[in-house]
Amino acid sequence: MTDMSDPDLTPKQKRQLEKEHQQRLKYYSASQWTLIWWRFKRHRAAMLAAVLLGLMALAGIFAEFVAPYGPVTRDTKYIEGPPQIPKFCDDNGCSLRPFINGTKTERDPVTLRAISVPDPDTRYYISLFVKGESVKVLGFIPTDRHLIGLDDPDQKIHFWGTDDLGRDVFSRTIYATRTSLSIGVLGVLISFFLALAIGGAAGFFGGMTDNVIQRVTEVIRVVPIIPLYMGLAAAMPKEWSTTQVYFAMTLILGLFGWPTLARRIRSQLLSIRNEDYVVAARLAGARPRRIITQHMLPSFTSFIIVDLVISFPYMILSETALSFVGLGLRPPSVSWGVLLQQAQSVRAIEQTPWLFIPAVFVVVAVLAFTVIGDGLRDAADPYSEAK
Amino acid sequence: MSRMLTVENLSISFRTDEGVITPVQGVSFHVDQGRTLGLVGESGSGKSVSTKALMRLLPGTASLGADTRMHYTTKDGRVVEIETLANDGEPIRKLRGGEIGMIFQEPMASFSPVYTIGNQMMEAIQLHRPMGRREARSYAVEMLNKVGISNAEARVDQYPHELSGGMRQRAMIALTLSAGPALLIADEPTTALDVTIQAQVLDLMRDLQQELGMGMIFITHDLGVIAQIADDVAVMYLGTIVERGPAREVIRAPQHPYTQGLLAAIPSLDKLHDRLSPVPGDIPSPNARPTGCPFHTRCAQKIAGLCDARPPREIQTQPGRAVRCWLHDDEGRNAA
Amino acid sequence: MLRFTLERLIGMAITMLLVSLMVFIIMEIPPGDYADRYAFRKYSGTGVNVTEADIQAIRVELGLDKPMIFRYFDWIGGIVLRGDFGQAFAFETSVVKVIGDKVWLTTGILFATLILTYLISIPIGIYAAVRRGSAVDYGLTIFSYLGLALPNFLLALVMLYFANRWFGADIGGLFSAEYRDAPWSLAKVWDMLKHLWLPAVVLAWSAVAYQIQTVRATMSDELNKLSVTAARARGVPERRLLIKYPARLAINPVVSTIGFDVNRIFSELPIVAVVLGLTDLGELLLKAYLDLDMNVAGAILLLLTFAIVFMNFLSDLLLAWLDPRIKLGA
Ligand SMILES: Nc1ncnc2c1ncn2[C@@H]1O[C@H](COP(=O)(O)OP(=O)(O)OP(=O)(O)O)[C@@H](O)[C@H]1O
Ligand SMILES: [Mg+2]
Repeated sequence: MTDMSDPDLTPKQKRQLEKEHQQRLKYYSASQWTLIWWRFKRHRAAMLAAVLLGLMALAGIFAEFVAPYGPVTRDTKYIEGPPQIPKFCDDNGCSLRPFINGTKTERDPVTLRAISVPDPDTRYYISLFVKGESVKVLGFIPTDRHLIGLDDPDQKIHFWGTDDLGRDVFSRTIYATRTSLSIGVLGVLISFFLALAIGGAAGFFGGMTDNVIQRVTEVIRVVPIIPLYMGLAAAMPKEWSTTQVYFAMTLILGLFGWPTLARRIRSQLLSIRNEDYVVAARLAGARPRRIITQHMLPSFTSFIIVDLVISFPYMILSETALSFVGLGLRPPSVSWGVLLQQAQSVRAIEQTPWLFIPAVFVVVAVLAFTVIGDGLRDAADPYSEAK
Repeated sequence: MSRMLTVENLSISFRTDEGVITPVQGVSFHVDQGRTLGLVGESGSGKSVSTKALMRLLPGTASLGADTRMHYTTKDGRVVEIETLANDGEPIRKLRGGEIGMIFQEPMASFSPVYTIGNQMMEAIQLHRPMGRREARSYAVEMLNKVGISNAEARVDQYPHELSGGMRQRAMIALTLSAGPALLIADEPTTALDVTIQAQVLDLMRDLQQELGMGMIFITHDLGVIAQIADDVAVMYLGTIVERGPAREVIRAPQHPYTQGLLAAIPSLDKLHDRLSPVPGDIPSPNARPTGCPFHTRCAQKIAGLCDARPPREIQTQPGRAVRCWLHDDEGRNAA
Repeated sequence: MLRFTLERLIGMAITMLLVSLMVFIIMEIPPGDYADRYAFRKYSGTGVNVTEADIQAIRVELGLDKPMIFRYFDWIGGIVLRGDFGQAFAFETSVVKVIGDKVWLTTGILFATLILTYLISIPIGIYAAVRRGSAVDYGLTIFSYLGLALPNFLLALVMLYFANRWFGADIGGLFSAEYRDAPWSLAKVWDMLKHLWLPAVVLAWSAVAYQIQTVRATMSDELNKLSVTAARARGVPERRLLIKYPARLAINPVVSTIGFDVNRIFSELPIVAVVLGLTDLGELLLKAYLDLDMNVAGAILLLLTFAIVFMNFLSDLLLAWLDPRIKLGA
């Protein structure tokens, strides 16, 4: 209400007003995406979740480099060993560089089994960019450097302990992150395209097409989903290679993930297909595909993105569950579910609790996707500002 | 004719994300038995929150000013200091419904959709009258008849969505009156209705008020409605009362520029050829209240250096009439 | 109301018909057919050399040589007309025998879970909405997020671990050792009830997390409704007001998602059953899948889905009864 030409204002007030005006101008002229981004940035939990997820994805993409050892490399000297926590001090004094003590093998006085016990007299120092196994990062960049490890190439550090075959849980988890996240991405993409095609057809053509599609959607929605996935997964021939199983899993997960999104697309299409600009395009003779992609889709892309993000958790949890019961990926593949297969019993909780560390990744990833989805939804909803 | 409600210095603040706002400041009015006070003002002027404060119906984020006084005299002559009561609890509940009844703008939303009209009426009746179920039911039917609902015996078992808009508002009136209030607050009861039905409902309310001898506070943005129903009128602008007096006189000779603007906005037969001239400008938002007279940003007659600097006092211009405007203040006239 | 019920019944029948088609397709997907697996199972290790002709003979005997569409009608006809789900190959008996009273066990688990879910989530959701923004409310929100993120098998393991520590070793499964193979008796039922709480808690967990959010959201909406203010302005006491007006409406979305909850519970059932050692349909389903005993698997999948569709139907009826606005619309 304040008029900028008001003569009573001091120059300072005027400058202040000018600034506010500029800001407002920027706000009003910003594109929809910029606005969403601004609002999303204000959502602290969602930003944190995005960062966490970004780190996970990076670790997964560069797994060969990040993981100190290969997913199936065995350390026979350290079987079912607990996590080795880097330290700066021990009985022999302190050091500026983190190190771990070595281990030596002794016999358990009661069971007479060979067990590893810490040896306080040896120290192995931890370094960045150490030499280790030769790997190909991203599948084509050969290197023998790894992000973190021990100076001594003959000794191994197991940050999160080892499993019953002496395989490094930390390295395996990093590789599993790649598998599990990528299955999620592919699964979501497949169901996205299916949803687009199916929901698009239902919403665009309406009538009989719509009726039939609605019926089919209803069927997929009533069948319990994990048992359904299991049925398809069970049908995978035992002799399939890990790669075949991997892609079959993405297909299975993607195949039934579309109903919710398809429903959303359909109802959005039904509600806007009678709007003036769409009718105009139709009258002007534009083809169906063009009308859908050029005119109808842009108006609800943000909703689709939100739905995509919140459908990730279902993919991840389903993959984990299937692999857990032995109907999904199988060893030697590593995914979060495959790793957790080793932690199936109460005995594991008592004796090798570190085998549950991959579960933390599952929980964090699912939480992160959910929180990001909520943040995006708030950011994409223009009315959320009123709250 | 006795005074039933005296409100002095009513101020209401809300805690919001943007800080504390005070959409009602220093409002005073009173209601006498059997008379109707009209409360007019544009959207957002604070009419609804003021009356909700009377019933302690404001949300937890609201607080009343320290020197707010709201004194109500009950049917049996006790004086209740409403400002001292808790938002829920026995004392305020005794006032709600049985002493002060309230009718809202949207008749559909005022009913719960999942109970019959009769169910909701009988609940109110049994809360406030010593009646059993059967008695309460026949009383409900009687009240529905009274507000002109035909076939009340059947209507009483219907759900709100089975009634038309006008019927629903009549039923709401019956529901509110069935608790036997001495003071009725009607918050824009006719705004959501068609014009013809509006007139019928207004007539009904006036008749019922006279028949039952209730006091009434009638909220509206329409001075035309005030002319039909109110004895006295208080004009609110941005949380303060800018002009008050007998309805007829205020409408005949408005003194505040805002009231004049509102009146000019009513199309009437003898002014049909004139252009409709609503009050120019927008109502400022409550978290950016203008300093000085709240109306100065839109006032054509503002006195620069005075109206935008100091808020005007309330000036008694005639017996029973008052206006809050520098133009009617000696000090203001000298300054001009 | 009659018409409404009839319409829903017909809708239910159509859905089940389509579901049965889908289940049948899933049963047909695994490579090879029963004849192969049957022959393999019957003769493996016996030294008999199985020829293609032998397998073909078995195929004809089982009616597997007919075109798919006929086999479908054989299968569904048997189920609908005679309650016959075919042969369970892994167990060399009929599917019905294998499934047996596991149907009732599963029903017991289902209802225990549902009751637990609603007993917890409805009051808590209402409370969270009334105390919106309080510490309790935030705590519940965090719990809900976690509840949805925690894989159920993990939860089952952790619960089992603590149950073992606190209540002794015999907590897994559905029965104590002495009742496991005993015939049904009151004592056995009582024993089952004592074991039922653990799977019920595990299975209810995510449903509770989800429903608390639903109830809280609707309750918050309802609390701001004018009808609530109007009732308050009539002097209705606060507690009664909360129950009669907003809370009464806040359970509608819960009722309308009962089928969804059943779906969620059945979806988790096989995995939770494995971890907790339950001897219900979930465990049997998983075993059947691993053995590729598709007749058993298909029967269970069909039964579970039928239960979901039926609960959907019940929830529709219940909702129509709860919300007078629906009867007119339908
Ligand atoms: N719960 C609340 N929290 C914060 N501010 C509020 C709240 N309720 C009302 N207000 C503020 O109080 C002011 C007055 O509102 P009120 O509803 O009394 O206006 P009104 O005069 O009744 O308008 P209308 O004619 O539109 O009903 C509004 O500007 C609004 O911003
Ligand atoms: Mg109002």
